[in-house]
Amino acid sequence: MSADVQTRLEELEALTRRYARYSRSAGGLSSVLGGVLCLIAYFGGQLLHGAAWAGPVLIAIPAVWLLAKGWMMHRYYQRLGHVEEQETPLDRRVHRFCVAVALLVALAITFGLGLVARPHPWSLPAGMFGYLALVWLMVLAAWRWLRSPLDFIVGVFLFCQAAMVSAGSYYPLIGTTHTDQALLMSLVALMFPLAALAMIASGIAEHRQFRALRLQLEQQRRAALGQP
Amino acid sequence: MSTPGHLGEVMALDRLVHEPARLLILAVLAGAKEVEFGFLESMSGLSKGNLSSHMSKLEAAGLIAVKKSFRGKRPLTELAITPAGRRALAAYRQQLAAVMQELPDPAATPKRR
Repeated sequence: MSADVQTRLEELEALTRRYARYSRSAGGLSSVLGGVLCLIAYFGGQLLHGAAWAGPVLIAIPAVWLLAKGWMMHRYYQRLGHVEEQETPLDRRVHRFCVAVALLVALAITFGLGLVARPHPWSLPAGMFGYLALVWLMVLAAWRWLRSPLDFIVGVFLFCQAAMVSAGSYYPLIGTTHTDQALLMSLVALMFPLAALAMIASGIAEHRQFRALRLQLEQQRRAALGQP
Repeated sequence: MSTPGHLGEVMALDRLVHEPARLLILAVLAGAKEVEFGFLESMSGLSKGNLSSHMSKLEAAGLIAVKKSFRGKRPLTELAITPAGRRALAAYRQQLAAVMQELPDPAATPKRR
């Protein structure tokens, strides 16, 4: 009996823990969507440059992803009720580090732009104000919604590409640039499509795990109600 | 038979935690940081009133924390296990394991003639 009770308690705890993952560290289909949008933003930045509709679309991508992520969590993965995942001390440290990096980048960019435009701050093109706004929104998003390392990498890229597009530029694709600075930028940016592919793979795996979990939750619910 | 030893262990079980519904609540809450009432309701199969009554007892004992707010116009109840609740659940598990180890195995008891 004791073994049964212990096993049931552990099962319930594990079931809740697995369900709670979909509040923070597991995105399932929203990770797949994030990865696909990241690839679109990465290749679209250069390939669609010049198309009138491409700019607004690329700028809207981060907001679309975050909204879809929240919607999928509430309406699909956590339909039985919101359960917040327990953060480990390591998760907390990693998240704080990521937010600190985003904040430092935002501060450096703001300071740099401030120095450049110091004599006539309002002479900056409107696109640069959009750029700054998106950089600071990136910090907010990193703190509030980008909780896992892959979410952070992909989310930061989506915001950075949106900011670049707002300023009339984009991250260059590797092999299409000749200056040292652009080559370096394209090499750094190469990690984003790789992260996107990793995110798509993990999202598919998480979605499969969720389908199995959903069956187990249904069994638990039926057992609790005394139904066969 | 060493009954007094067994009885002592049995009597030492935390009755507040030992009740099946409350044990289930604690086990579910132990797996997360915060749990919405609706999830607990579907996992336990208990009625809202029954669940609320058990929640109140656990909250009064300081084993869980209950946060009530509104999401739009809908009331929202979120629960979390406290550190004292985690300790009580862990202690209960140990006590239960100890009780079952102490009890003689009925299959091994010699039959009376």
